[in-house]
Amino acid sequence: MNDKAETVIEVKNAKKIYRMGTERIYAVNNVSFKIKKGEFCCLYGASGSGKSTLLNLMAGIEKLTAGQVIIKGKNIRKMSEKGLAIFRQNNLGFVFQSYNLLNSMTALENVELPLTFKHMKPKVRRKMASDMLTKVGLGSRLKHKPKEMSGGQQQRVGIARAFVANPEIVFADEPTGNLDSKTSKEVMDLIVDMARKNNQTIVMVTHDRRLAEYADKIIHIFDGKVEKIEIKSEIKDENQEEDLLEEIAGDVVYNDQSRGTIFKEQPVTG
Amino acid sequence: MRIRDILVMGLKSLSRRKARTILTVLGVVIGSLSIIIMRSIGYGMENNFETQVMQQGGLTTITVNTYGDIYDEDGNWIDSKQQKLDERLVEQIRQIEHVRTVSPVIQVGTTLQSGKYQGWAHITAMDMETFDDFEFPELTMGEYPTAQDPTAIIFGFNTPYEFYDTTARGRGHNTKEIDLLKDKIVLKFQGYPTNERKKEFSLPLKNIAKMEQTNGEFDYNTYMDINYFKKIYMEYCNTLNLEDRKKAIKVLDEYQQIKLNVDNIDNVTKVQDEIAALGYQSYSQMQFLEPLQQASETLQMVLGALGAVAMIVSAISIANTMVMSIYERTKEIGIMKVLGCVIRDIRKLFLFEAALIGLLGGIIGVIFGYLASWLINKFGQPLFGALMSGNWMYDMENTSFSIVPIHLPILALGVSIAVGLLSGYFPARRATKISAIEAMKTEG
Repeated sequence: MNDKAETVIEVKNAKKIYRMGTERIYAVNNVSFKIKKGEFCCLYGASGSGKSTLLNLMAGIEKLTAGQVIIKGKNIRKMSEKGLAIFRQNNLGFVFQSYNLLNSMTALENVELPLTFKHMKPKVRRKMASDMLTKVGLGSRLKHKPKEMSGGQQQRVGIARAFVANPEIVFADEPTGNLDSKTSKEVMDLIVDMARKNNQTIVMVTHDRRLAEYADKIIHIFDGKVEKIEIKSEIKDENQEEDLLEEIAGDVVYNDQSRGTIFKEQPVTG
Repeated sequence: MRIRDILVMGLKSLSRRKARTILTVLGVVIGSLSIIIMRSIGYGMENNFETQVMQQGGLTTITVNTYGDIYDEDGNWIDSKQQKLDERLVEQIRQIEHVRTVSPVIQVGTTLQSGKYQGWAHITAMDMETFDDFEFPELTMGEYPTAQDPTAIIFGFNTPYEFYDTTARGRGHNTKEIDLLKDKIVLKFQGYPTNERKKEFSLPLKNIAKMEQTNGEFDYNTYMDINYFKKIYMEYCNTLNLEDRKKAIKVLDEYQQIKLNVDNIDNVTKVQDEIAALGYQSYSQMQFLEPLQQASETLQMVLGALGAVAMIVSAISIANTMVMSIYERTKEIGIMKVLGCVIRDIRKLFLFEAALIGLLGGIIGVIFGYLASWLINKFGQPLFGALMSGNWMYDMENTSFSIVPIHLPILALGVSIAVGLLSGYFPARRATKISAIEAMKTEG
């Protein structure tokens, strides 16, 4: 990986406060970190830790209470709703736990959707969408509706939809949450494979340690705060010590010390 | 999104919810149908009104009668007064502003004779120069009088009436249709016995003309040029005894009517006021028109309000459909928003669906509207006969109760689409306000 990979996402002192009656709930509380281009970053934490909220904040789906999210040098908090929509069209892709396919549409139409929003011509986008579906192994199921497909297949459609416009960043919220372990592995491999080919940045939310192992960087979220950030050894960062241990992905080791440098509340650095 | 994509998506989502789309469209159909029916009946009334008034004579014509009727503001007869109509008054009226044409009118009953058969004609003699201004109808036969040959006698469509066999006895009169071209007809005046020493006046009619049908007063009268008529009447007077002659000749000095034509319908009342200032009571269609028009307008407003109520109901129905549709598609909207669909496109999508419902309903409503109009005209007579009984405006035989002018379907379509758009607008706005993340979490 490139040593001087540019920062694609920067989260600065992000806060999200919900009001439940008179009570204020800090879903995300003063979180800061950076994600570099081409990096596979995992937001890891138990349910209720605020990791999904953080992802939504980063994608501009939810509004920050305080702080900043800067994607590709643009402060998304300052964008208009329309600007944000267009920014999403051009730069972001999404994979969801519950697939979030439109049940009324065929696989092909679902994958076409982001391109439709981008004013692409029907012929061009149909070609792109069917190519993408073929890549995820669903070349024979273009005309099928989501209900006629298995969970794994539906998620492949979801992945095809996320990647079809070739976005720089793909957000994945528990992409394998509804799938069995075998299918999960296939789906994860697919995501990683696709992202690596185009040097795309992935931000994934999971509570599953095994899935987190796919990531280059694991950001542990606990009670709305960054507990620690794990960085895999082959990723070199200026702030990192060189003595990171060699590590094999998929190996379930809970010893953080053996896996890399641990930062708590990582300072903001250029 | 491209316009085409919005159209395709909108059509698909409407066809996916067929039952509900059809029911909503039905609501609009009823709305636009009732607008068309109500308005068309209104137009039917208006049209009847106008044609009936036209039949009575032009709207710009004012008549001054020897016996002037006095009416109150609502057009009810109160009294009559006798007034003297002479050449001096004709000249005075001619001076009034806005008066286009004035003609004195002499009306005399005459006998027509053809062999042993006898008929009669009510001659209306007017200045032939003014025939055009009073919109005399086209002729089916013969020519109007000219300066070279003023002798023409012009029969209205229904004249001359049947001729009777004067030699036949008893009630069973033999009647005969007179052929104006072939049969020889002579004109005689009635009322005074001929001087024994003179030959009875009789004028063979050679220059005969006939008017086409107007369904108006022209059909029942027979016309001549006033100067030519004066000439033959003088000839008639000369055949009378001296005393009778004096009485008979008065007919020429004092006219039965003075007819005048005003340049513009708006000035009719003004000119009538001026004539009243001269001390004469006059008569015009406008007097009757105004109160009747008001009554008709009120009725039309009631009908229009009924149509509007139906349209409002259908607007509520569309709005309801759109709101339901948005509840059902909350998740879809959320997904679309997250995937980068611009809000304006989502709004367009919903507005298009609502407008399409309006358009479909409008088109079907227009088709049914024409059908209903036809049915009303064909079978509605008993109903309208009962409703409008006593209303002289209705000629029950030839009336169209419902008239659909070309702008009515366009109006109905426009209103339907507008109702669709309007009742779709607020749900569409709501759709775009839904938080994407909340929307995605909903079941759908």
